[in-house]
Amino acid sequence: MWRLDRVRHKAGRHVSHLDELRSKRREHERELRQARRDNQLVSRRLLLSEDEDQLEITMDTDLGEQDVVSLFHKLQHNGPEREIHLKALSKALRDPPAQLIFIKQENSMHLLVGFLTGSNASCRLQAVRCLHELSHSPHTNIAPACLPATPYLLTYLSGQSTKFTELCLYTLGNLCPESDVVKEKLLAQGIIPALANCMENQKHNFAVVEAAGFTLSQLLQDRDAVVKIIPQILASSLPSHLLSVLTPDPNFGLAPAIECAWCLHYLTCGMENNRVLLSYGALSKCSSLLVSVGGAVSERKKEDGLELLICPLLRCVGNLLSSCSVEDLSSQIADARIVVTLFELLQAHVQTQPALARESAWVLNNLTAHSSAFCSSLLTLNLVPGLIQLLSFSQGLNTMILRVLANIAHKKKEFCVQLAHLKLLSALYATLKMADQDIVTLSMDVLFMLVVSDSQVAEEFVRHDGLSLLQALQYKSEGKIRRRATYLLENHLQSYTS
Amino acid sequence: MLQPDFVQLQSEGRDLVKSCDEKCPPEGEEGNPFNFTPQLIRVHKDHELFEDGDIQRHLYLQDLYISETEDKPALSLSEFACHISGCSAVFSTLEEYEHHYNSLHRHVCCSCRRSLPSARLLDIHIQEWHDSLFTILAQRQDMYQCLVEGCGQKFRTSQHRKEHLIRTHKYPPDFRFDKPKKDKGEKKRQQQTDTAMEVADSVCESEGVCEVMCDVPPDQPESMETRVFEGEAAHTAESEGHTDLSATGHSTENTNSEAVKPRYSYRVPANVCFGHGSVRGFRGRRGGRGK
Repeated sequence: MWRLDRVRHKAGRHVSHLDELRSKRREHERELRQARRDNQLVSRRLLLSEDEDQLEITMDTDLGEQDVVSLFHKLQHNGPEREIHLKALSKALRDPPAQLIFIKQENSMHLLVGFLTGSNASCRLQAVRCLHELSHSPHTNIAPACLPATPYLLTYLSGQSTKFTELCLYTLGNLCPESDVVKEKLLAQGIIPALANCMENQKHNFAVVEAAGFTLSQLLQDRDAVVKIIPQILASSLPSHLLSVLTPDPNFGLAPAIECAWCLHYLTCGMENNRVLLSYGALSKCSSLLVSVGGAVSERKKEDGLELLICPLLRCVGNLLSSCSVEDLSSQIADARIVVTLFELLQAHVQTQPALARESAWVLNNLTAHSSAFCSSLLTLNLVPGLIQLLSFSQGLNTMILRVLANIAHKKKEFCVQLAHLKLLSALYATLKMADQDIVTLSMDVLFMLVVSDSQVAEEFVRHDGLSLLQALQYKSEGKIRRRATYLLENHLQSYTS
Repeated sequence: MLQPDFVQLQSEGRDLVKSCDEKCPPEGEEGNPFNFTPQLIRVHKDHELFEDGDIQRHLYLQDLYISETEDKPALSLSEFACHISGCSAVFSTLEEYEHHYNSLHRHVCCSCRRSLPSARLLDIHIQEWHDSLFTILAQRQDMYQCLVEGCGQKFRTSQHRKEHLIRTHKYPPDFRFDKPKKDKGEKKRQQQTDTAMEVADSVCESEGVCEVMCDVPPDQPESMETRVFEGEAAHTAESEGHTDLSATGHSTENTNSEAVKPRYSYRVPANVCFGHGSVRGFRGRRGGRGK
């Protein structure tokens, strides 16, 4: 089971560890970004046993190589100390070069599978440990070598032993993204029904649910998931299990919810039409949970790692909204406080995690695009001034927020008047002068809606030297802006120009 | 059931909404270019919008996640850019933008495209430089107005006015009274910087001449003028935009925007023009003056 506090706790002990951790993290972050751009972002998890911790393991590489071969030979004799040897082997296999050496030994996998399926339970456990270490290997040729074990791993998913099941799951999850061959085999061997059963039978076991969620998320990140994997998943009981985990039950713990939320994110992104998920009440569940965790953020009571859950929830809500018609919206979104939550998430993260703020703004756009009711609630809940303040930020945030405001203005003239009253016009004087062409164009669109809504708005605009601003914009080399400025001057403000 | 419109985002795209010539309603009635419609936006899992969140997710999977945000870059504020065609000045605050715009683009003579610091000085400039009636009347009466607002005195020649300004209003004698319009081709900046100005203290300044005072007709090239701001550090940049605005009927040429720290208002009386201007010449053409 993943515990964020473990990392923090260890890091806290030694200051140098903390710095080391940070610079290692920065370096890793760079690598991950590049991997994502290359469409090769893949992670594996290593489940440590309770008596270990990652930072204090000494990599005794000298011992590794010889150890593996000699252990292998000892194990082949199947003597009474095989359990001890297996345990030693699992430790030795932590080392990547040792992993390669082991795989190259003839019949090494056969041996492991033998122990995995044998009658000795503790040998089974150690054997699966060895496989788990192998699955975590950075070498690409290890995963296919583990294929002989996978049908058994899948069978054991219906077992009752927590630690054992966890190890099986994480091992499978690590193997999934490795190669197409492995994936095809796993799918053919029935990994999806096995996962569904596992989640069904172990739904009260948080550690197992988390592990199953992880494994499923690994499958779902495949680039061909839409065709090969998602239909099968949607046809199974997995969606309802995933959703049942998304409960604000404080006992349940963050980690399983995080995994399941990411699975749902990959599912909602994948399909163009999310009818199936909507019929399961996915939008309702995700938005309700978002409201309750979002509340914790704004009250500053949030536990560490809450953003890891908020992020996929936001994305689910965002993409599900794009599949939801306006008529169904009120039944799908149970909690209308979602508007407030999104706004608070926006504000809370604009300085600390701007990407999350951007995603929140995106969801707000989808919420307000076709719904008069939500647009109205933004006004009545007095959230608009706060949105207007955020128009000064760049990197796409102000554009998205202006879209939201434009959505409101687009609904009816009364809203335009209210927006003007809330000083949106003043904000536009600034946004119309920004460097980013998109925001200028959008600002013109909003200005148009405001000006045609009410002559008083037009007058105020002119009073604040709006005409000369528009005239200046007419000289803009960018055609869209130029045309808009001209049209506005000639058709709606002509009585003010002399 | 009504299918909602949505815009499908390309996974490689940077833009969130496709420049939607296909999806957006085309320019409609009487060429109305405003075609904003609210849009549902669907984002593919590989889109750039999701990058940061994905990275955090994978850092977590690899046990490298730290929830304190130490060295995360804060969201930057949007920049402002001068809209005048050919002027590529960029500013980090609205105040700087406004200052630039007001100094350089606001009161512009449409005949010679010089920028004047105030409407009054623009009027005087136009009158003295571009009004043939003025020239005729000036032969017989005192036509050259004192530049100081409220003074009201008029003089027979530009020279007389200059003396008056020095004697009565204490203008510095070495002030650029008679510096003529310079030959643009010879004028080079000490520091040529990139035309794309991004630094906050690059503010356009018209580095020109006091044309109001000049009694030389605008077309004659004269000697090189000296810089006004001696001793002032200057990051100067020159941007010349030659944009054809034939669509609007204005002939537009260069906008020489040079960047200098804007301290002229302390050293030099405000009501003196600073020559070189930019494109916007609405005076005398349309808008503003009842024509």
